[in-house]
Amino acid sequence: MRETTVDNKKDNRFEILKELLLTDDRQKFESLRDQFLEKDKIRENINPVVDEKIDDLKANFPEHFGDQITESIKVQIRESQDEVVEALYPIMGKLVKKFIIAEITKLTESINQTINDKFSLTQILKRLFKGKRTDADDVLQEVFEPVIEEVFVIGEKTGLLIGSYSRGNIADKDMVSGMLTAIKSFAEDAFKKEGQDLEDIKFETFQLSMVNYNSIYIATATSGVITSEFKEELSDNLNTLAEKILRDRTYLNDEDKLNKLIEDILILD
Amino acid sequence: MIAKKVLLIGSFGVGKTSLVRRFVLNEFSENYISTIGVRISTKTVAIEDEEVKLMIWDVAGTSEEENVPKAYFLGSSAAMYVFDLSREETYLNLDKEIESIKNLSGLDEVIIVGNKRDLLSDDEIFEIRKIVPVTIDFITSAKENANVEGAFNLLTQQSLK
Repeated sequence: MRETTVDNKKDNRFEILKELLLTDDRQKFESLRDQFLEKDKIRENINPVVDEKIDDLKANFPEHFGDQITESIKVQIRESQDEVVEALYPIMGKLVKKFIIAEITKLTESINQTINDKFSLTQILKRLFKGKRTDADDVLQEVFEPVIEEVFVIGEKTGLLIGSYSRGNIADKDMVSGMLTAIKSFAEDAFKKEGQDLEDIKFETFQLSMVNYNSIYIATATSGVITSEFKEELSDNLNTLAEKILRDRTYLNDEDKLNKLIEDILILD
Repeated sequence: MIAKKVLLIGSFGVGKTSLVRRFVLNEFSENYISTIGVRISTKTVAIEDEEVKLMIWDVAGTSEEENVPKAYFLGSSAAMYVFDLSREETYLNLDKEIESIKNLSGLDEVIIVGNKRDLLSDDEIFEIRKIVPVTIDFITSAKENANVEGAFNLLTQQSLK
């Protein structure tokens, strides 16, 4: 067998020596590599959970921390009232000022409009013919227009309802008629004023007026500001209504017919 | 529908309001409510193929001392006088009271009702019938709902006369 130039024994020895000298270093290297790979693995596992948590916090921050933040703001405001007032005052002051200016502008426009209307030639001419009615009456009438809410035509002695008109929704008109008659009788009897009748009852925004005719009386409930002009007009209309009923007694036995007459004379007219 | 005003008269505490409550609402309240002046209730009754809307004026008392406005009695079509079987003072002057009601209302007839029969025995009621100066039309009990319907039916019938 031919010998080679390579001394195998010598090479092996070198390898063995290398093994002996570098074993520790290799182990450390292996350990470090494992640790590094482990971290990557953990990161891979943890990252989605952390991302999910961050997204949840972004989306539901008020739910998670709202109470605590509110509480801490409250404490902060309570403990630093002067600073808060100092910070808000310029903003609030400006808002209030802006609102007042806007309202005063509106009021000025309204006053100008009213003055222009009242002193126009047409109005001056109207005022010459209207008698005692004052400008205050006109303004009140425009703002709080009187409205007939209820009308009851009632048998004077029986208290039975003969006909009615109602803007609202009274549950038992018969009962109301009876009670009105009782109250009327009671008041007239209690004050013992021979030949005098209870005419008006006022409650809050309502005025109840009762007008007596032969065998019937008519009660009207009115809301709004009742001016003398409205009262006169209502009185005229009530007289017309009573006259028609008493001239044609069929109205007393035909509720629907009477209801229509009431509406025609007092409401639609 | 015909509407009729009917009267229910009698002293304080005889049970008029309880009778009305029993008739109108078909119930009885243990709570005693003293009537002041007048209380008005309505009830529609079908009688002899006719629907009648009763306006029941529950009037407390009749005499001058009780100061009931005379106008309460006007325009009524029928009247029922109620007394308390258990209280003598409510029926001793019954004849005078009835006469006064007839004068005030212009009615010829007044139905006489003795109420609170649940408080008395049959013998006691028999004795009262002998003392009372007028004929008692009905002995009722609002509490036990005895004869209430009958009394009001007669009242309705009289209102149609």
